[in-house]
Amino acid sequence: MIYVENLRKEFKKVVKEPGLKGSIKSFFKPKNEIITAVDDISFHVPKGEIMGFIGPNGAGKSTVIKMLTGILTPTSGKCEIGGQIPYKNRKNYVKEIGVVFGQRTQLWWDLALRETYTVLKEIYEVDNEQYKKRMAFLNEVLELDDFITSPVRTLSLGQRMRADIAASLLHSPKVLFLDEPTIGLDVVVKDNIRGAIKAINAEEQTTVILTTHDLQDVENLCDRIVMIDKGSKVFDGAIDELKSRYGQSRELRFIPADFKTAEKLDYKREFNLTDDDILVENDGHIISVKFNSDTVSVEKMLSYTLSVTHVNDINVGDADIEEIIKDIYKSGVNPSA
Amino acid sequence: MRKILRIYKPFTHAGFLLAAQYRVNFIFFIFGDILRCFINYFLWHAVFTSGGAKTFMGFSEHDMVVYIFISFLTGIVSYSDGAFAVGEEIRDGSIAMRMIKPIRFEFAFLFQELGERTMTAMIVFVPLMAGVEIYKFAATGVLGFNIWYFLVYLLSLTLSYLINFYFNVCYGYSAFVLKYLWGSNLLKDCIVGFLSGGVVPLAFMPAGLGFVLNLLPFASLTYIPVMIYLGMYDVPTILLSLGLQVFWLAFFIFLQRIIWNACVRHMSVQGG
Amino acid sequence: MKKFFKKTHRMFKLHRIFIKQDLKRLMEYKVDFLTGAVGMLLTQAINLFFLSIIFSQIPDLKGYTFEKIIFIYGFSLLPKAIDHLFFDNLWSIGYFIIRKGDFDKYLTRPVSTLFAVTVEKFQVDAFGELVVGIAFLCVSIPNVNLDVSFLNILLFIVSVFFATFIFTGVKLITSSIAFWTKQSGNITYMFYMVNDFAKYPTTIYNRALSFIITFIIPFAFTAFFPASYFLGNGNALFNIGGTAMMAVILMAVGIFVWNKGVSSYESAGS
Repeated sequence: MIYVENLRKEFKKVVKEPGLKGSIKSFFKPKNEIITAVDDISFHVPKGEIMGFIGPNGAGKSTVIKMLTGILTPTSGKCEIGGQIPYKNRKNYVKEIGVVFGQRTQLWWDLALRETYTVLKEIYEVDNEQYKKRMAFLNEVLELDDFITSPVRTLSLGQRMRADIAASLLHSPKVLFLDEPTIGLDVVVKDNIRGAIKAINAEEQTTVILTTHDLQDVENLCDRIVMIDKGSKVFDGAIDELKSRYGQSRELRFIPADFKTAEKLDYKREFNLTDDDILVENDGHIISVKFNSDTVSVEKMLSYTLSVTHVNDINVGDADIEEIIKDIYKSGVNPSA
Repeated sequence: MRKILRIYKPFTHAGFLLAAQYRVNFIFFIFGDILRCFINYFLWHAVFTSGGAKTFMGFSEHDMVVYIFISFLTGIVSYSDGAFAVGEEIRDGSIAMRMIKPIRFEFAFLFQELGERTMTAMIVFVPLMAGVEIYKFAATGVLGFNIWYFLVYLLSLTLSYLINFYFNVCYGYSAFVLKYLWGSNLLKDCIVGFLSGGVVPLAFMPAGLGFVLNLLPFASLTYIPVMIYLGMYDVPTILLSLGLQVFWLAFFIFLQRIIWNACVRHMSVQGG
Repeated sequence: MKKFFKKTHRMFKLHRIFIKQDLKRLMEYKVDFLTGAVGMLLTQAINLFFLSIIFSQIPDLKGYTFEKIIFIYGFSLLPKAIDHLFFDNLWSIGYFIIRKGDFDKYLTRPVSTLFAVTVEKFQVDAFGELVVGIAFLCVSIPNVNLDVSFLNILLFIVSVFFATFIFTGVKLITSSIAFWTKQSGNITYMFYMVNDFAKYPTTIYNRALSFIITFIIPFAFTAFFPASYFLGNGNALFNIGGTAMMAVILMAVGIFVWNKGVSSYESAGS
């Protein structure tokens, strides 16, 4: 469905000198600096797949999404979606896709939500019959009924997001782009949105491309992930693959009852580990141990710790996504094709 | 006084920097408005050539030209955004935050705007003043710049800004009643512009009406400073006019306090 | 041809829907709108008062009587109001749409970006100018010796139509600058203000200025030239043909610059 080959995007940034003199100078003789936001990215997404597109802030995710949706023209490289090239014949192309930018809304701010859909119906030339069916379906999945008559400006963030997703799906697109669809939402609403995305994907085989900072999104939804950093691809594969390779990094955090006994803990000797396998940090209050559950099981880790020292509190958690990305980037994994 | 200056100096500084950041935009904007002065300039020029008379209701052609540009300059420098600022604070509820801060509510706005006005004045004052004086010299052949009139004008201009500021703050409180201020702002600007002599000198109005308009606070905004600059007033009239300006300033400061106190009471009873 | 009709039909339909939406939005801001409308009417009334003061002292202005000036003035308000009514959103392009990165959404719609932007706002405020303009014309026409023939009515409509696009063209060109500079609202403002010159006969200006408003920023064609043709001065070819030509040129340049701008649009950092 989606083919991306050697995609690249450069931005020209005008270097502005400070002061009035600087702005006059840069007006007549602009000094440009070229910034590569996306550097030679390739991937392929089959029809019906939900692909998670992840990476740290400023990695170039949004730039890629904007190129795939026809908002930006690539500097070089190719992308083809459903046989069409986004930035060529844009008007025809965008009929086939739906786009949601989590931080922006495409709804009409002052009007009742329903009005937005009436307008979009005309813009996308959806006929009456189809529109009715579609609204019924979206209503069912996204539960719009509670607030469809309220002005958009009065909606809560969660409602607004559901409304925005519905707006992007009104014309039954084949591909749905979601840029941070769960940003700023509480746990219950996040769950709600994830359920809806799944339902839509299951119902119509809609291909979904999703960017997020939330590992739960990825775990719950995505068949596959592409991870980028500083504009380049650093990982491409199934979620399980990522997990087995990197996702097993865990963090054990505990507050020792007294630090004297806690200092006797020596994980390296106990489990025969090297510096690469384990990282112990002690801030004088909480001790944090980062380790890989493939090398040492969580159970062993816990029982060893508890056998040496008493603790006031203890827990084991996943390292967060930024952490994993940092890990992968640091270890310099070759991008798998 | 020293203490006040110390507390509010950062606001002035911030306002100045803010205005400096937007100065390129501001210059384009001002340029658009100056064009409008030139339309009036040519219009009056045509009026004097068509009419054949040397004066038009007591104004010679160069009086009229100076009036057009100096009233524009006075309007720009004494402009105040107080109504908008207060209206926004009321609408988004942040006005409640002002109550818990140990600073006078309107002073924060005032000192910030003073910074902005200083930047504005730096951009427009010198070129426009110089242009007008050069024109006066070219038109009359005599160097007519009178330093005393100029200094009194500056004093009157300062008063006119302060009156305008307090008037606008008072007006901004109407946001408690009206939800949106776009329409009423437009109406206000239109009425104030006319009554302050921004369209034609108040001397052109029918005698009775003109007299009343001279006493209203609006004349203090533009008309009085401009007439002083033009040298149209003799010394007693100048003193009387400045006195009138001081009166209106005191009036609006007082009114502002009353409204503010009422708001505080209203909010502490009803909650934000 | 059939495709063209289908396309135009769709455009009109969308326009109608948006107008309906905007009227609904207006109802939410009723009081605000009405005060604003009163303000607009008052502004024009004050301008009229201003002119009447002038004409209380002189019989005519360079050969133009009070009534003729009112006719030109009224004429100038019509294209201005129509442009205001339909193409007001171009101002937002220069002031904030591009700076905030909000242009993205227009690029994800299956209609031309220019259409998507302009259709979104139906600026009802413009009715104030429209009403005043028509009133001024109605008051002045009986007093200016106008030849009311079928041809002249036709030419009148044609010239208002094209004059509208002179306004739109100037706004289009100047607001497109924002695609490169992120913000150009004040540049638009500066050029737009030149339109006020068109309310009076160009003969009152000096040579350089009347050259500029005739050929460089041709606002003279939005009011004075066409209006003075109806007042019996000048010829149709220059006064009205010129209006049409300037409109076509400005719109062609505007659309060209717009399209160039869209293709170099860089969005905003996420």
